[in-house]
Amino acid sequence: MANYLLTINGQQTSVEADADTPLLWVIRDTLKLYGTKYGCGIAQCGACTVHIDGTPVRSCVVPISRMEGKKIITIEGLSKTGDHPVQEAWKSIDVPQCGYCQSGQIMSAVALLDRIPVPSEEDIQRAMKGNICRCGTYPRIVKAIQQAAKPQDS
Amino acid sequence: MKATRRNFLKVTSLAGGGLMLAGAIPGMGKILTQDEESVLSSFNHFISIDLEGNVVFQLTAHEMGQGSGTGLPMIMAEELGADWSTVTIERADYDKKYEGLIRETTGGSGTISFYWDSLRNMGATVRELLKAAAANRWQVSTEGLSVSNGFVIDSGSDRKLSFGELAAEAATLEVPKEVELKSPADFNLIGKPVKNLITDKVAMGQGNYGINMDLPDMLYASIEKCPVYKGKLIKFDAAETLKVNGVIDVISVPTLESTEDEIHVQEGVAVIATSTWAAFKGRKSLKCDWDLGDNENNDNERLNAAVETAGKKWEKPVYSVGKYDELKDLEDYREIKATYINPHQAHALMEPMNATAHYNGQTCEIWVGTQNATKVVVNVAKAVDIPADKIKVHVQNSGGSFGRRYYPDTSIEAAYLSKQLKKPIKLTWTREDGIRHDYFHPYQVSHFSGLIKEDEVIGMQLKMVKTASYASGDNLWEQPYDLGHLDTFINPIDNLVHQGAWRSVQVHSSSLGKECFIDELAIELKKDPLELRNVLYSKPIEYVAFDRPTPPGEQDFGELVMDFRTDLRRRNRSVMEYISANKLWDRAKSAGKGRGFAIDDFFGRTVCAHIVEVEKDNSDWGIKITKITSVLDCGIVVNPHFGRGQVEGSIIYALSALKYGSIDLKNGKVQQSNFHNNKLLRIDEVPEIEVHFVPSEETPRGLGEPATPPLAPAVLNAIFDATGKRIRKVPVYKEDLLA
Repeated sequence: MANYLLTINGQQTSVEADADTPLLWVIRDTLKLYGTKYGCGIAQCGACTVHIDGTPVRSCVVPISRMEGKKIITIEGLSKTGDHPVQEAWKSIDVPQCGYCQSGQIMSAVALLDRIPVPSEEDIQRAMKGNICRCGTYPRIVKAIQQAAKPQDS
Repeated sequence: MKATRRNFLKVTSLAGGGLMLAGAIPGMGKILTQDEESVLSSFNHFISIDLEGNVVFQLTAHEMGQGSGTGLPMIMAEELGADWSTVTIERADYDKKYEGLIRETTGGSGTISFYWDSLRNMGATVRELLKAAAANRWQVSTEGLSVSNGFVIDSGSDRKLSFGELAAEAATLEVPKEVELKSPADFNLIGKPVKNLITDKVAMGQGNYGINMDLPDMLYASIEKCPVYKGKLIKFDAAETLKVNGVIDVISVPTLESTEDEIHVQEGVAVIATSTWAAFKGRKSLKCDWDLGDNENNDNERLNAAVETAGKKWEKPVYSVGKYDELKDLEDYREIKATYINPHQAHALMEPMNATAHYNGQTCEIWVGTQNATKVVVNVAKAVDIPADKIKVHVQNSGGSFGRRYYPDTSIEAAYLSKQLKKPIKLTWTREDGIRHDYFHPYQVSHFSGLIKEDEVIGMQLKMVKTASYASGDNLWEQPYDLGHLDTFINPIDNLVHQGAWRSVQVHSSSLGKECFIDELAIELKKDPLELRNVLYSKPIEYVAFDRPTPPGEQDFGELVMDFRTDLRRRNRSVMEYISANKLWDRAKSAGKGRGFAIDDFFGRTVCAHIVEVEKDNSDWGIKITKITSVLDCGIVVNPHFGRGQVEGSIIYALSALKYGSIDLKNGKVQQSNFHNNKLLRIDEVPEIEVHFVPSEETPRGLGEPATPPLAPAVLNAIFDATGKRIRKVPVYKEDLLA
């Protein structure tokens, strides 16, 4: 066990863990941030997606030992009140069915829009194909991303 | 419209002021005793209104993504005349005393239809109480009063009073014996795309799932299960496991008996730790010796051999009408035959299986997403050996279920571990545990034969071999087609892996054969497949005597079947007429593409047709589905946004099964383990989906599953149309197209 100094959602925090502990389990079991979900443990489903220095990453396969000095953002760090434009679009299109995968979907979508503000449908598919939704909300995910991408009225 | 069903309803004052309406849902087939009435009156079953006018709806159905947690309060709020923004839900905890008094299973796509009458009745009852309270206040009759958006309004003047202002007084009035329900034309909320009540929280990562449970002093568990179905543990060596940081204990999990055969808890060894990860990691260095038993020899070949043997001898049909076997050998008749195969499929729900239990010596509490809390209660009681009335279930929302969480196995395991450890335990299955130890969609092989005379189909024979004993939804008498000569035979074979209910259950397996075979018959007769169905719908439905006694006071089963088929046929036709009137089949025809059609009902209720358009392409699959048009007659659509979502979701679920879903067995072990080899459809594989609901004012009939069964046959029929390749199995691989 060792101590690691993490920067999660803008806050510095020290956690004690084995070096190989995946970030996911530190986020969930140590920091009790339950928005980030366990889905597969092998980076196949995207339910655990968080941002590390702005890049979407599957936290279930990233060891905690590599996280020092990185800026980690989870769904809880996206906004205080759920008013991030992607969250607003998710609510407006009413995307979720069971909702379990949606934290990961939203985190992938935010990262996509940070990179490509107005993505094509192909961009959306490429960026989102790592995130599985068993309920099949994919058509609504596409719509929500397109809505969030719309230039805001000034 | 008058309410015909009588709820048990009781109005009382809410603690702190306001109104509470408690009610029992009728339809459990019993008249409540006084004791049961008192149980339900303490249940606070459904509606309360506080002095601020906040309406709280107690939810007893399970929310697992199907949207009932929003649809049910919508139905209540519609009749109540509530301001929707003031409506919230609370989940009711479940314990033994409600057994038999509420709808215990959330499943069968039946929640909305089951509660439809009752919730309208309850909402209308509270509305009438509020009106009566306002009439008292104003000293007028209730005749001129109306209710809208949380207010009672006196149409003769501009006066109005809010629900909050009236609730306390309304609580002291007598419950009316009969209430008027709204006409569907006057619905304000039902039929509107009201937003899911879980959405705001989900968008912030605050969804409420069992896997997020956190109790003081809680430990985490993960179970290394015997890899072969029903294998036993001989011994284990945990020396290395106990060296893993965070691992506290390692204990065996014996065969935990359940209350019924369909619930099986696989033996294993549990690693108890201070975190989920430590428990998972500890398993990697665990050494277990298993007695795998004869199931070690289970593999695909053994399954195929069992299917072949069972397919050689057919004894008594489970249903038979006419004289198919006599006619088939006569000169003027000819037969065509085809066999269709449905493999085992996994649920692969997104939230891995889990349960949290706290056994304290006298009572046991369980936190779990479950489709049947009664099964949790009675099985946990057995596992920890305390009376069932000492168990309380806090039902959590589920991250998907599709039938899987109908079975209480994780609750049994967690309760057992909590008793051994004397601590609250959160048990989390890994994804691999969930795939390998699933309750699989049964394996089914359907042999169809059709009898043709001149250019007419006059008979059909279905011979099924399947790994599950249940047959409802399979029988040919349950189909709307009446052919005069129909036989259904079922030969069950032993399970090689565990079996369970999977989205749309056996209808999915049966639909594949039935709807492909009708298409094959149409091709044989050079008829349009829709035209052939219309011909089959037009034959008179004949009375058939069933070999079963009619209990006193009940309708003869043969008559029930006739009524069932008549009604089913009517709704099949309404879907066909809609397709015809809107030219949906015609428009799907285009050069270079194929189109396919299939239609089926889900347990005689909602009827769903899919029109699928495909073309050959150079993708990994070799086929591109360009468009799916779905038409459903499901009665009133309570929330069209959810309705469309369920249809899209059912289609995508069925497409995963069609492209990837198949469980393979080798040396008794399930070969699939995670999403890399039990693939699910991804966002770039979703075709355009267009959903139509046939306008209806009939009672809702369910939308969670009906769009799943006809998808595979519609795609296979379209592939035949496009390529001339007749594929008779799921999943479909590129090799099948080239073969």
